[in-house]
Amino acid sequence: MQWSLSFLLFCFLAVVHALSSSGNRLLVVLEDAAEKDLYFTFWSDLEARGYDLVFQSPKSDQLSLFDLGERAYDHLLLLPPRSKGFGPSLSPKNIVDFLNKDGNVLLALSGKSTTPSAISSLLLELDLHLATDRSSVVVDHFNYDTLSATDKHDVLLLQRPGQLRPDTKAYFDGEGVLALPNAAPHTLGDNSLVAPILRAPATAYSYNPKEDVGAVEEVWATGSQLALVSAMQTRSSSRFTLLGSVESLQDKWFSATVKTPGDGKETTTANQEFAKQLTAWTFKETGVLKVGKIEHHLAKDDLTSEDLNPTIYRIKNETVFNIEVSEYSYDKFVPFEVPANDALQLEFTMLSPFHRLKLEPSSRTENSTIYSAQFTVPDQHGIFSFRVNYKRPFLTNIEEKHEVTVRHYAHNEYPRSWKISGGWVWIAGLWSVIGGFLAFVFVWLYSEPTSAKVKKTQ
Amino acid sequence: MPSASSSASGASLSSGPKTLTTNSSIYDIAHTVWQQYLATTPQRTLLLDAFMAFLVLVGGVQFVYCVLAGNYPFNAFLSGFCAAVGQFVLTASLRMQTSGSSTSTSTSSVGSGAKGKGKKGISVEGGAEEGAVSHERAFADYVFGSLILHFFCINFIN
Repeated sequence: MQWSLSFLLFCFLAVVHALSSSGNRLLVVLEDAAEKDLYFTFWSDLEARGYDLVFQSPKSDQLSLFDLGERAYDHLLLLPPRSKGFGPSLSPKNIVDFLNKDGNVLLALSGKSTTPSAISSLLLELDLHLATDRSSVVVDHFNYDTLSATDKHDVLLLQRPGQLRPDTKAYFDGEGVLALPNAAPHTLGDNSLVAPILRAPATAYSYNPKEDVGAVEEVWATGSQLALVSAMQTRSSSRFTLLGSVESLQDKWFSATVKTPGDGKETTTANQEFAKQLTAWTFKETGVLKVGKIEHHLAKDDLTSEDLNPTIYRIKNETVFNIEVSEYSYDKFVPFEVPANDALQLEFTMLSPFHRLKLEPSSRTENSTIYSAQFTVPDQHGIFSFRVNYKRPFLTNIEEKHEVTVRHYAHNEYPRSWKISGGWVWIAGLWSVIGGFLAFVFVWLYSEPTSAKVKKTQ
Repeated sequence: MPSASSSASGASLSSGPKTLTTNSSIYDIAHTVWQQYLATTPQRTLLLDAFMAFLVLVGGVQFVYCVLAGNYPFNAFLSGFCAAVGQFVLTASLRMQTSGSSTSTSTSSVGSGAKGKGKKGISVEGGAEEGAVSHERAFADYVFGSLILHFFCINFIN
């Protein structure tokens, strides 16, 4: 009875957790309840994908990211605050703690209002930098929407981003144009954990509308130095995304008709699809890797279960290593495919790698790919480890380490002398000496001991 | 070879062992020494010398092979080559122990004038203290030492 109840509960939980790979409790921090209706489609999209949305005002007393030291929510969505900051329960330290406890954060900013310094210092911790005046807007006189921003040129129209590099996966690509109204720009620090998702076009620049100076005097960053959407993935694979334009999530822009100054064709925006991709990635619906079975064994045909994952190998053994990797894609695990210009690598290390080999896909199951490599154990005994260290932008980290001992040859494992044809001459030499000795002894004993007779007579 | 020597000292050769003149050629000296050696050495010493020559040949072939073909199974080279060298050393000591007394008896019978080699000269002096080691005892030691050598070499060559 109890068992069936818990099974039912488990099934129920499985249905509830059908979407994100790391939970469905989403806290939305929204200062003005009236603004909630502006994002109606966005909220219903999230709810349709299985999230439990909890709306809170940053001023609310009940608002706390932690409950009894544990995360109270799995994900956090922050809309830009009106006042000086998010208040004591959402201080930069609390948000970083939330990230350290594997919570995911999506922070949206707006160029309309000045970004509070608390947010600026939070972003500084993540190596994302805002302009010093914190109230700049990206303006582009070549890629703006001619319908809604005829004068101000502050509604950017951009193509959907493709691959970040040739060796990464594209999680945000697709057809269509994105409209980013009142985007607050930021720049990225020199940090491998930070990756830009969407950069401003080369003709864009940042501009503070509150200053009445006609020309921009001090240029902080221009063109594609300015990032509009960026991602930061911590070492524990929790995710932080910074979206420069919160207005792009509004219903108005999900289905707006826009027109670029060049060709003059009217198109509808792809903001809804992009918002889905962005939240899906941030809340770990995409780009999540899972390591399944890891097997290593000697390269031979008839394997029994005792032969798998031995703790000891001998030098020069032929060894096979298999690792099963799956990737989460929206609601299920699918076989993980390494991007075309990238490689999943196996290292066989003792202090430093003795081998660094490409793992090739050897077989595929319904929801995982098995990568394998075969190699000869180096001629060096000691404590080695099989390591797979795969850290790429937009993918959760894989870091596997499996220790094995490598021993040298036992005294009876060397080949016998006659197996080595190069030594046959010396073997023949030895045996001819022995044969010669025996013949000599034989002839000696039967030869006439002339001198002995003479000696005896003396 | 006999044609060259017969014209120079044909008359003197017929008289058996004799002294060479100061201006006889190197070839004559070598030939005379060889004849002297064959004539005066006992059969067992000849046998010993033949065996030692065989060992030098075997050891030389192994060394040349090592120089030419490399020393890959190095233990095999060490084992084969050292067997030849060790056997040579053992055989040499057996020769010293056995031929010393025999040459002393032969020199006493033939006469002190016949001294072909320096080695024999030493053995003559060694023969003065007679009965240090009997031939049977020397031979048994030799066989014992050789068997130990062979045992180690076979083990080492694996």
